Parts: sequence; structure tokens; C-alpha cells
Amino acid sequence: MSVKAFELVPAVERDLLMGDKARINIECIECCGKQLYVGTNDCFIHHFLLDEVTSSKGKLTYFAQKLLHKYLGLKKPVSELRAASALQRLIMLCDGILFLVDMVSLETVPSGGGAKIRGVTAFCVNENPVDGDPFCVEMAVLSSKRRTVQIYTVNKDRVQLVKEVNTPEQPCAVSLDGYFLCLALSTQYMILNYNTGASQDLFPYNSEERTPIVKRISREEFLLAAPGGLGMFANSEGVSQRAPVNWSESVIGAAVCFPYVVALDENFITIHSMLDQQLKQTLSFRDGHILQDFEGKVILASTKAVYVLVPLPLERQIQDLLASHRVEEALILTEGAQRNIPKDRFQILYKRILQQAGFIQFSQLQFHEAKDHFRKGHLDVRELISLYPLLLPASSSFTRCHPPLHEFADLNHLAQGDPEKVLRCKKFLISYLGEVRSTEVVNGCREDVDTALLKLYAEQDHASLLDLLASDNACVLADSVPWLEKYHKYFALGLLYHCNGQDSAALQMWTRVVDGDLQDHTRSDLYEYIVDFLCSASNLDLVWKFADWALHKDPTIGVHIFTKRIASKVQAELNPDDVINYLGKHSQALLLYLEHLVLERRIKKEKFHTHLAVLYLERVLLLLKSPTDEEQLTNARERLQAMLRESSLYRVQFLLGKIENCEQLLLERATLHGKLEEHDKALHILVHKLRDFPSAEAYCLWAASSRDAASRQQIFHLLLQVYLGKPQMAPDGCNGGEMEMAAVDLLNRHGEAFDAVRVLKILPDGWSLQLLKPFVGRAIRASMHACRTSQIAVGLARSENLQLLHDRLKERKKPIVISEKKGCHLCHNTFSEPDVVCLPGGVPVHTHCGAQRIRDSPTKRQLTNSSNHT
Amino acid sequence: MNVGKTSLLHRYMDRTFKDTISTVGGAFFLKQWGPYHISIWDTAGREQFHGLGSMYCRGAAAVILTYDVTSWQSLAELEERFLSLTDTAHHDCIYAIVGNKADLTDTNAQLAQDSDGHSGDSDSLERTDEQVLSACPTPPASPVSLSGLMPHKQVTHEDAVALYGRILRYKGLEETSSLPAEKMCFETSAKTGYNVDTLFETLFDLVLPSILRKRNENQGCTVNLEDSRGGGGSKRSRSGCC
Ligand SMILES: Nc1nc2c(ncn2[C@@H]2O[C@H](COP(=O)(O)OP(=O)(O)O)[C@@H](O)[C@H]2O)c(=O)[nH]1
Ligand SMILES: [Mg+2]
Repeated sequence: MSVKAFELVPAVERDLLMGDKARINIECIECCGKQLYVGTNDCFIHHFLLDEVTSSKGKLTYFAQKLLHKYLGLKKPVSELRAASALQRLIMLCDGILFLVDMVSLETVPSGGGAKIRGVTAFCVNENPVDGDPFCVEMAVLSSKRRTVQIYTVNKDRVQLVKEVNTPEQPCAVSLDGYFLCLALSTQYMILNYNTGASQDLFPYNSEERTPIVKRISREEFLLAAPGGLGMFANSEGVSQRAPVNWSESVIGAAVCFPYVVALDENFITIHSMLDQQLKQTLSFRDGHILQDFEGKVILASTKAVYVLVPLPLERQIQDLLASHRVEEALILTEGAQRNIPKDRFQILYKRILQQAGFIQFSQLQFHEAKDHFRKGHLDVRELISLYPLLLPASSSFTRCHPPLHEFADLNHLAQGDPEKVLRCKKFLISYLGEVRSTEVVNGCREDVDTALLKLYAEQDHASLLDLLASDNACVLADSVPWLEKYHKYFALGLLYHCNGQDSAALQMWTRVVDGDLQDHTRSDLYEYIVDFLCSASNLDLVWKFADWALHKDPTIGVHIFTKRIASKVQAELNPDDVINYLGKHSQALLLYLEHLVLERRIKKEKFHTHLAVLYLERVLLLLKSPTDEEQLTNARERLQAMLRESSLYRVQFLLGKIENCEQLLLERATLHGKLEEHDKALHILVHKLRDFPSAEAYCLWAASSRDAASRQQIFHLLLQVYLGKPQMAPDGCNGGEMEMAAVDLLNRHGEAFDAVRVLKILPDGWSLQLLKPFVGRAIRASMHACRTSQIAVGLARSENLQLLHDRLKERKKPIVISEKKGCHLCHNTFSEPDVVCLPGGVPVHTHCGAQRIRDSPTKRQLTNSSNHT
Repeated sequence: MNVGKTSLLHRYMDRTFKDTISTVGGAFFLKQWGPYHISIWDTAGREQFHGLGSMYCRGAAAVILTYDVTSWQSLAELEERFLSLTDTAHHDCIYAIVGNKADLTDTNAQLAQDSDGHSGDSDSLERTDEQVLSACPTPPASPVSLSGLMPHKQVTHEDAVALYGRILRYKGLEETSSLPAEKMCFETSAKTGYNVDTLFETLFDLVLPSILRKRNENQGCTVNLEDSRGGGGSKRSRSGCC
């Protein structure tokens, strides 16, 4: 429990006072400045000069030099002594008589005028006088046998009664602050305002059982001995503002030396903190007799000797507390001392104590508390990092502060080799750095913090390593590389290179991992990652450099470098021609790239289309040579066919040339002919060579799509003719009946595409109507429909025309008058015939002029409709 | 004695329930409440410190009179021995009557209800402990058999309400113009935290306006909580400005 807050230092030894005269005892003391006065029971006053000497080691000693001693001639003990230094007087109480002596000569001074004050049991001096006169001392005096308190003023040679107040009981101890008397009566304490007479009972106390204590400790605040051995605080309003301290029952003197309450009983000096009420220190002290504070100096006396209770410097006390790991108390003491220390000094001290406290808690693995204190104490995080061996980058300029904040060399020292402890400390640092790295705490040391964090992440195999590297960071490259290599974090290392603008090194690293030269399982899809990375790489040289590697690994994914390249303004665009050239040796990738250009990006360039078609064709031809996989071939042909059908940009003749003599690709040839509008050739191939009637039909539909009705008819008729034409030399011996059936099916299925009349003319006579019933039926219905529709249209047009005529005539009932005198509005010649045409608005013009105008006018039709001959 | 005054304050201030030692003389806490500091006194129940109670109560704005729900005597002593200590309280002082150790008689109070609602500022580690503690009440028992083990509840809510009425009469206060008994009689458990925050926060909210008013009138601004049982405890809180 104990703190060393004070040290007891002898001031006046026994020899100086009474030598070996056993019956002589110290009765009272007074000290002001260096002057020490001691009153004894044989009616002497001793005057000493007390010199304070600090040894080179900081140890304080006192030297007392005796100046004078004087017998007062009353044969009674000197019971109290008070200095009024401004007056050069000592106020003394001896044998119930109060009188003044000169401070230097110790001669009695006649208290001019007034009679001696007799029958005095106790008195006190007002340390907070109401009168501003510095050469006037106020004192309160208690007398035996009288229930009053008298207030006197003391001048250099005069003592004057100014006030007398009654008390309900006999007072036995008094203290005075301003107008407030704090009194111990026989059964209770009370506060009494001698100016107004107002009183406030404090609490009961039996003064016969225990010596009461009324000690003024600060402005309008008193310390009182309370029942149960308590030291109670009370202010002038009778209110307690601090919790009491727990003394022993027999306390005879007490004083406050902030933040401590010092008390004396028969055998001990006890020291309690006012901040937490705890007992902090106990000093053994035999024959204790007096404890008083004089201008902040606590002086004690046994019956034979005088001592000074010297407080240790606050910082030393705090350090002692910290040294015994009493963090809470150290902080309370520091905070409590705030008002006694200049603000800026306090700030520095407090920060330091917080940091030290943090390290103590850290070493006890109380991380939560440690963190709070580090934060509050604005700890330079590098102090913490530097505990962990090798975490700070070699380039760091950091050195630990001096004096050190803790006693540990490093983490191993702190954990005493316990790996579990080390691990917990590392985990803590990870979370702590993670939290602070984005705050201003790391201003000026971001490199150090980020590098340390990177190292910890790598070592602990922490998932956030990648987050750190993926975000804005200040990891020092030179330091991090070996560390990441050590823990096989090659992927992360690549990221680090990337952060440092060394993409090439990054890719080098990653490709080695993919190739199995290096082991790092961070990403199972590292290859894809690299491809993605290249897709967005802005440096084209890099793309060219690593594309080869990627394509070798896997052309289908590798080609993404080119096909999935993210288009953006900042990125240089790849020229497709360059890519195609480059991909020359990677046929599969080339194909994919061309497909990307043609099919996805729909680039309309003959070159690409032809190239792609040729590639398709070559593949088909290759497969044809070694017909192993039927399905592959079918697939390849389907693609080729689709390409040939759908694109119209490739060079048809060129391709045709390539397959002209390939009897296996007739269908493709037909398509190519179709592209050249050589439908007869195409159909010939389909019908006669392939005898593939469904394809022939499909061809017609394809060739006819998006054509006008006439061309459609043309194509279908062509096919019909082919079917019905003279059977050619059928190579594989198929008969004409088959073709006729095909013709029938064609007609029945696509009747709408034919001109029925033309069809009927060319059909062989022998065909039954039954056979063609669907065709004929549909043809008749269609022509009926057409006929009726047109009749309706005519009817409607007529009625509209009539309607308009009617309207028009109604509009202008007046006749249009023409004469030879009138001129045509258009040619300005006169009319010679009655035939005229009216312009809108009824203006007559020559018929030929009107016609002319209509011919020139863009709105011909309307005009024709609305004009009329009269 | 030992109704749990110190424990209540520990629960409220530190959010823990730990072993207490018999309070010597009195103890003092400062609670930050918004921009204000409220001072709270914890009183000592022992006979020898009895005389000090009125010191702590002087000028108090609120007094918490605490008894133990399992002890009829504690309620009786409150009235017989400790009520007179409140004579020094401010004339506006409000009184709360608190039956502590409710966890011993009431299964509801075994759940750490209050402190949970204010989880924000308390230590999470301790918090977990506390929840563990509340999740499994006194070890072997199911709620049914538990009732058999429970100490008998000796003081009912009605008893407390009746005492509140007598206190008002003693103070010469009109029941109609004072705060209603329903609002001012609490049952708490320092052990589980049951109702503890509610108790203090209710009082602070009630007391603050009158303190501010007094301060404006330039009077000394003291709030005062006093509480007691057996040895009589009184807490006093003074509000000072920050
Ligand atoms: N079961 C239970 N015990 C409590 C409670 N509050 C206090 N105690 C116990 O009661 C005893 C006295 O508590 P303490 O706070 O010192 O009472 P005080 O004398 O009024 O300050 C201690 O043993 C506490 O553990 C409570 O709410 N429930
Ligand atoms: Mg207590």
C-alpha cells in the first residue's frame, strides 16, 4: 500500500534544547522563515536559525543554530507561541496569560494601554484576516469559565478587543478564517460567524474523551477530528465537500499538505490522500507531541526534539507509484496535482505519466486500459513499435525517449520468453496500429507505422495484409521486401511493388508464383489476376512483355488481355492490327481476338471479317483432313456457315476460290454464291449436288429475307424451276419423282412467295389438283383476298373523292367565271377555251399551266386530289 | 446496516458489483451529468458515524433512503433512526425510497436490465461477466425450486409507499404538491443492476431544474441524496457547475 510521500528529517536534536535534563519537555513550537521558536515546560523560549542543506545526492538535512533562549519567569510551561512576523512579535500563552515578546530579543513588550489578557485557555491567529492592514494581526481567544470567544487585533505594541461572541457551551478549541470561527465546544463542533452571530452546528463530539482538532486547511475549510477516528472536512457553510479520512482514535495533531492529510498520534504519523481517502504512508514516531504546518512546512515535535516532515517531490512520488505498478493511484495523484503545477508543465508531466501507465498495463497485458492511456497520453506509437524487434524500418529516425517510458528492452524481455504472451502483444499491436494509422497520431511517422504493420501482418499471416497494400500506404519498400519474402508473401510483395510503381517487378514476382518457382497460396486464381492486371495496365510495353507468357499459359484466358481491356481515356489504346500481328503465332488466341472484334465489337472492317472467315475455313479444312471428331467438325462448320451467312463484309470471291474444288463444303459454296447473288448456281448445288431440299428451301428463305416482294418471288420461282426442270444427269441415281415431291412441298409450304398464275402455267399437266390443294387453296384465297381488298380500297377512295368534291363545292357555291379578258394566274395569258383548272382558293389557271405546276410541286398528290376541272 | 448503499453506488458509477468493505465515515462520488457534476455521498451506517449523517445531508437536493427488501427491520430503522438526519437537507429536497437486493426476492430483478440498456460506456469484459451472471441465477435452481430458496420478501412496495407518505408528513409537505409515491419508490438490485440506472437518472432529471433555478438565484447549489438503512446511510449530492 505504501507510497513514500514524506521523509522525516531531524531539525533540532535533544542536546541543543535540554541536554540531559530529563524533566524538561517541549510544549510548543513556531516557525516562520528560518526562525524556529520552541517553548518548554520550564518557561523557556528557545530561538534557532534553521538552515536547509541539500546534499549533492538531493538529500535534505537541517542545521539548527541556537541564537538565544530566554526564561519568561512564570515557572509555568509555555503553552502556545504564534509569530506575528510583520510586527516582529511573538504572541505567547503561558499560565493563562497572553502577552507579546520581541521576535529577536525575546524581551516582553508591554501591551500598551490594555491590561494583560488573563484566563486564556487557547487562542488562534486569523490566517485570512478581514482587516487588510498587514501590520495588524487578528486573533480569537478562548477563556476558561466563560462561554465566549473574544476577537482581538494585535498591533506592534497594542492588543485590542474588537468583538466578543457568546457560545452555547464552553469552547475548548478554535480556528479562525475571515469572520468564521470554527469551534470545538464540549459536546459538538460548530461554525460561528462572529460578525453576524449566525451559527451552524456541525456534528456531535465529546471533547472530554478525545482532544478535539479544529484545523484550518484552506480558505473557509476546516479539518476536524470526528468520532470513530475520522478526519472530517467542513466548510464555513457547514458542508462537507470531501470524503473523510480514517485516522486512529487518538490523533493529536493534523495538517494538510496537498494532496495529503498528515496526522499524528502517540506512535505514528499517518498520511492519507485526500484524493482517494486511502492511507498512503505510515511513519513510526515515538512520543509524538506536536504536529503543525507553518507556511506549508510540516514540523513535528516529540517531547525532546524537533523534526521536519519533508514531502518528496511529486514526480518522484508518482514514479515510485508507477515503479510498484500502482497505475490508478499514480494517475489520481497526477490529476490531483494539476492545480499545483503550471499548466504547460502539468501537460508534459501528465502525458508522460499516462504513457508510462500505458506501458505498465501493456506489460500486464491489460491492453484495453493500455490503449486508453496511450491515446490520452498522445504516445508516439513508435515507442510501442520499437519494443517489437525489427519492426521499425531501418530508415526510421526514431529513438526512444529519454528517460525511458518503461523498463523493457524489447518484447521478449517483457514477455520473459512466453510465446503466448508475445503473440498476444503482437495481436494487440496489430489492432492498435490498425486503428491509429488513419488518424493524426501517425503524422510524421506513417512510413514507420505502415511498415511495422505490414511486417506484423505478414508474420501473423493476417488477412489485412492485402487490404493494407491495396489501399494508400506508406510501407518502406527496402524494408518490406525481405520481410515479405521471408514469409513467402509473394503476392503481397507484388502488390507492394505495384504501390511503388514497379509493375514490372510485380508481374515478374507473380508469374514466378504461377510458374511454381515460388510458393505462395494467397490466391489460387493468381493467373487470372495477372490477366486482369494486364487488362488494366496503362503501360503497353508491360502488356506486350507479359502477354506472351499469359497466352502460353492459357490462350483462351490470356487473350482477355486484349479482349477485356478496359477502355478508358487515360489508357493508351491498343491498335487491333498490332494485336493481330502479335497474335500471329497464337492461332487460338488470334481466332478469339478476331471473334471479339467481329462478333462482339462488331467492327466493320473487311480485313477482320475475311480473316476470321478464312480462319474458320482453315479449321474446317483441317478437320476434314483428319476426320476424327464428328462433333468438332459439325461445330466448326456451323460457325463457318454462320459467319458466311451473317457477315457481308468478307471477300466472297477470295473464299470461294479457296473452296471451289472442295466437294465436302458444298453448303458453304452455295452460301457464297448466294452472297454473290448467283442463286441459280447456289440452288443448283443444293438441289442437284447435295439433293438437300430442306437446305434449298432454307436458302431461299435466307436469300429472300429483307428483299422486296419481286426479288423474293424471283428466288422461289428459281427453285421451283430447278425442281421442275429437266432431270439432269442424276449422279447418285435419284429420280425425278423426288424432285416433283419437293416442288409440291415447296408450293404447299411457301405458296405466298409465288405468283400462282405463273406457277400454274409451268406445272406439268398431269398433276392432280388434290396434290396441290393447299397451294391452290391458299392461292385462290389470296387472290380473292387481294381482289376484294383492292375493291374495298377503290370504293373507299371513291367515296373519299366524292366527299371532298362535295365539300369543295359547298365551300364556294359561286361559279368560277372565266373570260377572254381574264388572264391565267400562272402564265398570264388569256383564256381561249372553257377548260380551266382551279388552284386552291378557286383561282383559275390553264389546264397545262396547272399540270406543269403539279409536276414541279413536291406536294403533287395533294394538289391533284384537291383540284378539279370545272 | 448493509442494505447495499455502497454497492448501489459502485454499480452505478463503476458498473460492477464487487465486495464492499464497511463504509468508514462516508464516501464521496462525482458524477458527470451532461455539463454538470453531481456529487453523491455514501454514508456510513455504523453507530459511531451516526452524527455525521446530517453533515452530508446539509443542503442536499435529493436523498435516497435505502432499505433491504428482505429485512423489515431495515425499513423500520430508516424511519426511526435516519429520517431525522435529513433535517439539514434543503427545504426543496426530494426523497426516494429504495428497496435494494430485489434480486433475492424477485426473479425479474435477476436480469441485469438497467445496465444493459446503457451499455455504451462500460467495459465490455465486465459486461459479459455480468450477463453470464444474470443468465444463470443462483446455481442449481430452476425458477420453481428457486422460489423455495429465496429469502422471504419482508417489505412490500406498499410498505415503502406508506413510509413515503409518512416522510412527507414528517417534512410537513403536502402530498398533493409533492412527487407521487409511485414515482419515488424503487426496488433495485446492486447485484444485477436492476433499476439502478433508472433510479439515479430519474432523480437527476428531477433535481437538476431546481438546482439550476437556485443557482440563478445565487444560492449555494446543493443537491442532496441521502439514503439509509440499519446503520442509516445517506448520500448527498451537490451539483456544482462544471
Ligand atoms: N443479493 C444482493 N446482495 C447485495 C446487494 N447489494 C449489496 N449486497 C450485499 O450486501 C452487503 C452490504 O453491502 P454494502 O454495499 O456494503 O452495504 P452498505 O453498508 O449499505 O454500504 C454486501 O455483502 C453486498 O454484497 C444486492 O442488490 N443484492
Ligand atoms: Mg457502505
